[in-house]
Amino acid sequence: MNKTVLAAIVVVIAMLGFTYAAVGMAGGMGGEGDWVNKLAVLGAVVLVIVTSFVVTKYVRQMQFDKASGKLADENWDGIGEYKNELPFGWAIIFLGLIIWAIWYFLAGYPVGTYSQIGEYNEEVAAHDAKFEAEHANMDEETLKEMGGSIFIVQCAPCHGLQADGIDGKAANLNNRLEEKSVKHVIQNGSNNQLLGMEMPMPDRNGLMNANTGALISDAEIDAVSKYVAGGMKGTTGADVFAGACAACHGADGKGTEMVAPSIAVFNPTLVANVLKHGKKGAIGAMPAFNNLTEAQVKALGAYVTSLSK
Amino acid sequence: MFHWLEKHPFFFAVAVFLTIAFAGLIEILPNFAQASQPTVGTKPYSTLELAGRHVYIKNNCMGCHSQLIRPFKSETDRYGHYSLSGEYAYDRPFLWGSKRTGPDLMRVGNYRTTDWHENHMKDPAAVVPGSIMPAYRWMFKNTADIDTAYAEQVTVNKVFATPYNTEIPMADGTKATVALAGTLDEAKAAALEEAKVVAADMKDQDVKDAVAAGQIPEIVAMIAYLNSMK
Repeated sequence: MNKTVLAAIVVVIAMLGFTYAAVGMAGGMGGEGDWVNKLAVLGAVVLVIVTSFVVTKYVRQMQFDKASGKLADENWDGIGEYKNELPFGWAIIFLGLIIWAIWYFLAGYPVGTYSQIGEYNEEVAAHDAKFEAEHANMDEETLKEMGGSIFIVQCAPCHGLQADGIDGKAANLNNRLEEKSVKHVIQNGSNNQLLGMEMPMPDRNGLMNANTGALISDAEIDAVSKYVAGGMKGTTGADVFAGACAACHGADGKGTEMVAPSIAVFNPTLVANVLKHGKKGAIGAMPAFNNLTEAQVKALGAYVTSLSK
Repeated sequence: MFHWLEKHPFFFAVAVFLTIAFAGLIEILPNFAQASQPTVGTKPYSTLELAGRHVYIKNNCMGCHSQLIRPFKSETDRYGHYSLSGEYAYDRPFLWGSKRTGPDLMRVGNYRTTDWHENHMKDPAAVVPGSIMPAYRWMFKNTADIDTAYAEQVTVNKVFATPYNTEIPMADGTKATVALAGTLDEAKAAALEEAKVVAADMKDQDVKDAVAAGQIPEIVAMIAYLNSMK
């Protein structure tokens, strides 16, 4: 028995000893322990033995084997190369891989067919199709729920989580209008495309009070602003409203189609138009939100409308 | 020849470098040259916007905010269309950032307004509950550096032929022109005109007074820059 084999046997015994020290009889080498542990320990033992003897085999081959065959003509610093045939199995695998590579480049996964944007487009198209199918006919409750979650992401940064406008930083959506907004519109006119088209409202120099037959006065503006902001309740300002505003905005303030928007309550069409065109008024400017899908706009309309009820 | 190369490691390394460099040139450069053309609708910065950009860099906003919308649905839903290389054509340097502590700002001009920025810069947590962004109150007091912004405009115009005073096609088919003033004084006057537009939408009386007196606080330049990001 030569030294290499002896060394391998020593290593095997040492490794088995180490395994025993590490896991012990109870850990799996003995009768105790569960079968997973036993399997693991068995695997370790087999690995140690097989590795040691495979290594021994190749070390001995390097020590004693004599190569044979015809030497190639050239050598590099005295190191030559035999002109042996490639083993048959290797040759088959090599050729097979070349054929597979051609298939892979041309048919399996053609060059240039992947793009990150393409993957993105597919992802979006698949999502949109699924979204449309799922939300084709939403009932009022689903709309409101969806609108609420969109509101948190898109609207809450300005209007606040409670939709209260965060201390006047944006419109308080729990009421249709605030007094200062009404006043601002009466004094300066408005062209905010709330109807989805150009339909400007004149400023105070174009607002007649039919009751008095004269232009609307400061006192009347104050009164009617309070009246509209207060939800059109009570009697103060009601006469001014009837005289100066009702002709376009309707006696109940709910607006007239193609003429004037609702100033009494929010409605989904109004919300949709604000989202589409943005808005600028007494409080500040609101940008347009054209990135929302149709269903999302509908949902926000339902949600915002529900806030002030 | 290959035997010769194998015997001369230095020249072998040179040959490897040349081969790889050549492959790189023909694969990367044409695509790069094409993609870095400005996209339709991308225009150079005006003096005030550039001054705001300097404020952005000075306060290291890119430490927390990226300017690069990746083509993921979650990002495009929130921020808008994914970023294209051509959109950075006039960004020197680009401010992509990689630490996304705060939201992406690539298209913040599309969905935030002057008054929102004003409120937010003064006290971020007041508008965004739970925000960990610090307040940037000194921007309301410091004066924006228009001189440097103008100097940069002149430089990029001369060195990189950035198209100032040139008609630039916009996405909606119209043309836009970004003016480059002839002198520093003209540039300052033009920046002040721009600043007045921004300040008109602001509420801070000190800022309004400063702009009325011919000063441009940093916050005005900053907001002009943020509004320009679309």
